[in-house]
Amino acid sequence: MRFIHLADVHLGAVPDRGCPWSKEREEEIWSTFRRVIAGIREDPVDLLFISGDLFHRQPLMRELKEVNYLFSTIPDTRVYLMAGNHDFISRDSFYNTFEWNSNVTFFKSRELTCVKDPRLDVYVYGLSYYDREIKEGLYDKAVPIQEEGIHILLAHGGDEKHIPLSAASLAAAGFDYVALGHIHKPQILIRDQAAFSGALEPIDRNDTGEHGYMEGRLVDGRIRTEFVPFACRSYQQLVMPLHEETTQISLEEAVKSQIFRRGGRNIYRIILQGMRSPDILLIPEKLKSLGNITEVVDESWPAYDLEDLYKRYSGTLIGDYIGYFLAKGRMDTVEKKALYYGLQALLETSSRR
Amino acid sequence: MVIRRLKIKNFGKIRDKDMELSPGINVLYGENESGKTTTHTFIRSMFYGVRRLRGKASQNDTYTKYEPWENPAEYGGILWFTSKGKNYRLTRNFYKEKKLGELLCEDDGSLVDAEQGALGTILGNVSEAVYDNTVSVAQLKSVTGKDLVRELQNYMASYQGTGDSSVDMGRAMQMLKMSRKGYLTESARRKKDLEKEKEKISANMEYIRREIRELDEKRDRITQQQNGMNMGTRDKSTEDLLELRIDRVKRRRELNGAFLAVVLLCGIAGTGCLAAFSGQIILSLLAGVATAGVTVAALFFHVRLSRELNKRERQRERWLSRHDELTWNRNSLDSDYEEKYTALSNLQSELQECEENTEVLTPEEMEIQALNMAMDTIEALSGNITEQVGIRLKRRTSEILSEITGGKYREVLMDEELHMSVNTGDRTVSIERLSRGTLEQIYFALRMAAGELFCKEEPFPVILDDVFGMYDEDRLAAALRWLHKENRQVIISTCHKREMEILDKEGIPYQKLFL
Repeated sequence: MRFIHLADVHLGAVPDRGCPWSKEREEEIWSTFRRVIAGIREDPVDLLFISGDLFHRQPLMRELKEVNYLFSTIPDTRVYLMAGNHDFISRDSFYNTFEWNSNVTFFKSRELTCVKDPRLDVYVYGLSYYDREIKEGLYDKAVPIQEEGIHILLAHGGDEKHIPLSAASLAAAGFDYVALGHIHKPQILIRDQAAFSGALEPIDRNDTGEHGYMEGRLVDGRIRTEFVPFACRSYQQLVMPLHEETTQISLEEAVKSQIFRRGGRNIYRIILQGMRSPDILLIPEKLKSLGNITEVVDESWPAYDLEDLYKRYSGTLIGDYIGYFLAKGRMDTVEKKALYYGLQALLETSSRR
Repeated sequence: MVIRRLKIKNFGKIRDKDMELSPGINVLYGENESGKTTTHTFIRSMFYGVRRLRGKASQNDTYTKYEPWENPAEYGGILWFTSKGKNYRLTRNFYKEKKLGELLCEDDGSLVDAEQGALGTILGNVSEAVYDNTVSVAQLKSVTGKDLVRELQNYMASYQGTGDSSVDMGRAMQMLKMSRKGYLTESARRKKDLEKEKEKISANMEYIRREIRELDEKRDRITQQQNGMNMGTRDKSTEDLLELRIDRVKRRRELNGAFLAVVLLCGIAGTGCLAAFSGQIILSLLAGVATAGVTVAALFFHVRLSRELNKRERQRERWLSRHDELTWNRNSLDSDYEEKYTALSNLQSELQECEENTEVLTPEEMEIQALNMAMDTIEALSGNITEQVGIRLKRRTSEILSEITGGKYREVLMDEELHMSVNTGDRTVSIERLSRGTLEQIYFALRMAAGELFCKEEPFPVILDDVFGMYDEDRLAAALRWLHKENRQVIISTCHKREMEILDKEGIPYQKLFL
């Protein structure tokens, strides 16, 4: 027995609105899902679990038909799916009336339901969201029925507002595998027993790191799972350490080579860290044109020795200025930035060096 | 504070030089390039250490500049001074491998590390910046009159606003404003982009709304058509009615058929009977003809009825297919409608999310906040300094100027635009119209006043580096008389003998130091 567990495909999402790659990403979310199905067509698995949020919003009829068509191309695979918090079953939802293919099981009920697979001794459990938020722990009392076989739970949520749950107690209750959705970062909670497959493709700039699905198989009566990276690109954080010799051009070159090394298709958030030379005025905005860059966060500081400067300049405006901020104790980011901005301006324009 | 003695071991080009200083006026005389500036730097370095920079900048830093070529291990010297009634000996070695700073209190024999805070406390918290602003006074740098005026005004403004003549608050603020402008532009661009995205969504929504309106119209039209087709009454549907009509025609045809059959039967029977029993051929013939006539009429009638039935049936057919078509159209419109409606509400949530996004602080907004905070803080702190020293500085500068000019100029004024003028007692003169000598006098008065105000705890020595070059003899005598009267330690460094001659002539005691 082999299965694929995926979740949070978010078909129809428009990532990073306003960025040049937004439209392309919207299409890639669909095409990666199609690639999964095409892969199954080539090398069929027995079961495909989709743990919610297949759609980013209320699915349109045309979208349901597309997805259903794709499912019809893998007749040897039984598909089990549920509605998550994004594509929850609203009063007017097309989910209410849609007729799925014979190989598809849609958990339409708001209560946990068990379905036995027609060909294998596998029991699949699931429910659907009927609201954007569900605060009750609907999975808390879930127990597999007393039948020989593999018991797999499809669950969506896990945070405070979306069915809080404990993977450990679900595993303890006797589920052989808990196929989780909702959290976009793939994470294995209990090895071979409970995992968030994560979003198939990253949905926005906060979904950094690898994305894909979980693949499972039954080996000697035990389920073995592994994560399969499948997304066509990733969001990455590019931390650029600055030092006193860094110049605008050297920084641009370094960013360029990093992007080249990590892949030009990936989308980056650049974070500048470390101490830069106070004499150099960096223009972080200029880095944005070097690739797919969502933003440049400047966390670097001019290499000033504040204590020393405070001592040297005490009794003058610069001394007062440093003293004013140092007296605050712990500074927040804005205050710290203000301190360095003002200090740099006062020192740079000063005739004493 | 009074410097009593200097012993330069090895510093720049000076080696093994010992100088005793008087607590009053000292004249440090030497030719150009003989080491006067080196002596000043030595004193400063003794108090504050030698500045060393890292990286490339180290090529021009003070350390490298004054590092002796020979015996660099003895880079340093000793300085004896008195502060607040106590005598100290400060020994330093600047050499990077043998760095040493040792402060000995000669009265109680206590020894401390000069790098620690003790020296700072003894110096009355006169920081390096304050020292630069008050203790060492160099000549005004500018050559032309216009620059000179600007330089002097900058000095005054900087003293008033920052307590540091080297700080240019105006330019610093300008720099911050420029940075802010960049971020403001960026922020505006981002807002515009977001606005554009929102407009795109809104336009999409408007488009779908229009489609929905069109669907509504179509639906209305179909409803009208359906209503128009409806010929039924309250208790009979159109379909039943049509069925009823067909049935009626059918029944009439059946009746007609039955009538025909009866007529035929009766006609044939009658004709037969008449022919057989009455023998009246004519009667029989008549009956036969009548039967045939009636039969023909009935047949004719039958044909007409059949035709009508056909027509009615076709009518029903047509009605039914039209009805089906309309129903199908309506259903497809309904599902279209639902699809559009879902798409519309999806866009609505998208727009809402877009709006929620605008509430988050963008990186640019954060930079702008920080820049605003920097500017506000600088302005507020500068305001404090102006409040604390501004008026006193002006008053004291005016006093000194009045004394060294023999009362010719009574008051120094500075307006909001940082423009300076002097009051002669009966009129104010803009400083642009003053001679270079007078400007130097105002500068001198300003520096002296600043020295008094910023060295709060005790007066510091004043080191005048060639400041009297532009003074005529009367001005110089007046300045020297004032310095003598003030009873402060002064080190006048000069390459002229003029100062000593006038001091001798005025009978002012002083200590000669030769390089």
